[in-house]
Amino acid sequence: MILHTLNASPASSAFFDCTRVVDAGDAVILMGDGVYAALQGTRACAELQATGVELYVLFPDAQVAGVNHPSAGIISIDMVGFVALTERFPRQQAWY
Amino acid sequence: MAQAGKKTVLIVLRHSPYGSSLAKASLDVALATAAFEQSVDLLFLGDGVLQLLPEQDSHSLGIKNFGRQLASLPLYDINCAYVDAEAAARYNLDLTKAPVETRVLDPKKMHQLMVGYDHLLGF
Repeated sequence: MILHTLNASPASSAFFDCTRVVDAGDAVILMGDGVYAALQGTRACAELQATGVELYVLFPDAQVAGVNHPSAGIISIDMVGFVALTERFPRQQAWY
Repeated sequence: MAQAGKKTVLIVLRHSPYGSSLAKASLDVALATAAFEQSVDLLFLGDGVLQLLPEQDSHSLGIKNFGRQLASLPLYDINCAYVDAEAAARYNLDLTKAPVETRVLDPKKMHQLMVGYDHLLGF
């Protein structure tokens, strides 16, 4: 199980590489420019959801970006939630 | 894989060699980690596979040749590099000419590889 932090927009190679490698049982936190993958009705969002991973979006970053209504199934977390996830997963991979 | 008290580290290299300082940083980390006798392996993923092009010549940039540095990895007991098969195919790389010995992996196998390590360091 891997906790992935995705900190790049859906047009980036980071997004592309991340979606190829993730697997069910992993979790992905969208942060920084990664929050745009939480936009409802986007292909990026559908691609991420199709991988079967748990999806989270970092609320402070989403708020800054104006992504105030993440797509259904994407859980909004704060920094405390972020830390809780790092405790749950034994290893973390950063995509940026 | 891991001896008692030893952590295993996989360095995930995702960027081209000269477009940023990330590739150099990742190699520095790999060599430093190995120098402290930690178990470290490399995974070249996405654009990271471009670091394996055989005929790099960084002379005009006044910086070290990345390919040649990769060739020195066996001196540090880093003997095998894992490579993203899809990216290698996308760039039509001839890995038989890569500066290090490589093993190609599809995305599923890359995930299996990653979960086998204590720490993942992404560059």
